[in-house]
Amino acid sequence: MNLIAQTLADGLVLGGIYALAAVGFSLIFGVLHVINLSHGILVLMGAYLALILSTALRIDPLLTMPLVMIGLFCVGYVYQRFLIQRAVDRASVNSMLLTFGVALMLQNAMIWLFSPDMKSITPSYAFASFKLGPVNFDAVRVSALAASLVLLSLLALFLKFSPLGRVIRATAQQTMAAQLCGVNVRHVYALTFAVSAAFAGAAGIVIGIILPFSPADEGNWTLNAFVVVVLGGVGSPAGALIGGLLLGVVNTLTAQYVGPAFPNVTMFLLLVLLLLVRPHGLLGNAFAASR
Amino acid sequence: MRRRDVLRTVGAAALAAPAVRSAQAQAKTLVFGGSVPLTGAAAETGLNVNNGYITAVSYLNDKLGGVEIAGEKYKLELKLFDDASDPARATTLIQRQIDDGTNFFLGSFGSNIVLPTAAITERAKKPMVQTGGGSDAIFTKGYKYVFGMYPRATRQFASTAALFKTLTPTPTTYSVIWTNDAFSKTAGEGVKLSCDAAGFKRLDAFELPAKPTDVSSVLGSVRANSPDLLVCVMHDQDSLLIARQMVASNTYVKLLFQGLGPQLASFREALGKYSEALLCSTYWDESVPYKDKFFGDSRKFAEYYRSKITRPIAYHTAGAAACIETYILAMQAAKSTNPEAVREALAVADYETFYSRIKFTPDGDGDPIIMGSMIGQVQKSKLEIVYPEAASSAKAIYPQPAWDKKA
Repeated sequence: MNLIAQTLADGLVLGGIYALAAVGFSLIFGVLHVINLSHGILVLMGAYLALILSTALRIDPLLTMPLVMIGLFCVGYVYQRFLIQRAVDRASVNSMLLTFGVALMLQNAMIWLFSPDMKSITPSYAFASFKLGPVNFDAVRVSALAASLVLLSLLALFLKFSPLGRVIRATAQQTMAAQLCGVNVRHVYALTFAVSAAFAGAAGIVIGIILPFSPADEGNWTLNAFVVVVLGGVGSPAGALIGGLLLGVVNTLTAQYVGPAFPNVTMFLLLVLLLLVRPHGLLGNAFAASR
Repeated sequence: MRRRDVLRTVGAAALAAPAVRSAQAQAKTLVFGGSVPLTGAAAETGLNVNNGYITAVSYLNDKLGGVEIAGEKYKLELKLFDDASDPARATTLIQRQIDDGTNFFLGSFGSNIVLPTAAITERAKKPMVQTGGGSDAIFTKGYKYVFGMYPRATRQFASTAALFKTLTPTPTTYSVIWTNDAFSKTAGEGVKLSCDAAGFKRLDAFELPAKPTDVSSVLGSVRANSPDLLVCVMHDQDSLLIARQMVASNTYVKLLFQGLGPQLASFREALGKYSEALLCSTYWDESVPYKDKFFGDSRKFAEYYRSKITRPIAYHTAGAAACIETYILAMQAAKSTNPEAVREALAVADYETFYSRIKFTPDGDGDPIIMGSMIGQVQKSKLEIVYPEAASSAKAIYPQPAWDKKA
């Protein structure tokens, strides 16, 4: 019983982090209908920025989150407005090629700037743990989960209640109608990408705290985000959360009860099954890209 | 032709003549081809390997003015390309170099890259001396032209198991974890073979995915079974993940051995005080006592390296430089730069270099006794050699202190 509780707790903690890392990808896919293959690079940018800022300012890495998110917001806006939008205007598949190319270039730029060596962000509580009953919790992973839940909730509230959130949702649901109502769709697309990039940066901080990272990891985080989005459904924080938690729990349950070598096998098996049974994801919503 | 034009032509010819003569007298060039991972997942160690190649060539060309083989002077030239840690790209690069006439190859880093590239150089009958691939598959396919600076993976753990036997109180049980990649899988097999043969009781053997993100379930089993020794054979980044999660989940074993990881300064820095008493394999240290025909000894090699490159020196760097030195020694012994003759000389090599004594098995991997690993242990943030006794700079700490007692 203790083992099941411990495995589920580990899975939920891991899943929360997957969810945060995927929500930006989900939003861009849902609203802009763009598969952003440079998502992992945005995640790593957040990790490297947090490492630099927390070292330079001698503050807790989680406290660098506002600065990192603002930085990535600006990068995301410019990236979408001046590169991706131009590619989308020509043909939608161009955006995939463009983001793939940008990911390759930025990965090499990161190697040049930061070296290919693994880095890690080590806050004062990096090695702390606590117990709740029989279940042991890794403090840094729990703090990462807490940060994920707070950020996902804030994003959900922002999309639901803020004027910009309503405009983003309207644009996602009926682009033409939003345009007819006077919405500057290009600006909304760029803002959506900017918000997504900011969340990818925040995810990077959380990931940097719990895992060693290097420029070569960018592909993993794009792939994980893709799987989470397919599982949970595109375009909403709730979909990313469900997909992420499911992925985390499946990962740890498989590692514990089938074998530590098999989480990837079950992850992709689940992906295939879901694509067959429920291709819009568990929370498949009315956003255009999922129809 | 006007007089001024004649003077101009004669003047130009007079100026050019010494340049032509000096070009004729210039040393011949010996080209070493290959690929190294300067980007991608293996880039961290790939860069160390690349720096080793550069250091050796720079020293031999700039300090010694080239090398003499069969009475002729040769300058060395590297033609190495970034394979981005991608075996498919590496094979394309190697094939292209073979088509372009390159005769001698240096290895990439990672068995998954060395294995397919060695198949290509073997087919072309061109030697490859490498320090990046230890998987058994490289040395058990009957290849005649590939030589490695370490014993094959399943033989690499023998010296570590021998160290375990010397510890007091003698450990009795062990568990082993490896990741699902070409090197780590065979290294895991080697751990089982060596530890079982040495009489240790195996409690668990775990295979992780190639790129794990969470090992909590495995550590749960380790806590439940409490082995005396936990052996992890995987690449640096995954070793760090395991060590961090062990500390955070308070998973204690009397001794944690991580094949790769603690030898890197970045690893020790990331773990801080918790890296104390962790063990790892190392194939070279500045303090090894070997004499060297070109560099003098290990310390002089390290000094020269530091005068050229700021990146911290690693054993892969020394191994890579030794690959080039081994080639030169074989060419001098063969009195030839013919690939077939050089291959024959490499097969019977028995040279002392700053890195180690170089002697290959008939299958091409390093002799397990002569070129086997030393064992390093982190002591006060520095890597000290604790085994074999002849090369040791400190005594092994065993059992390691509890995580919260590490200072």
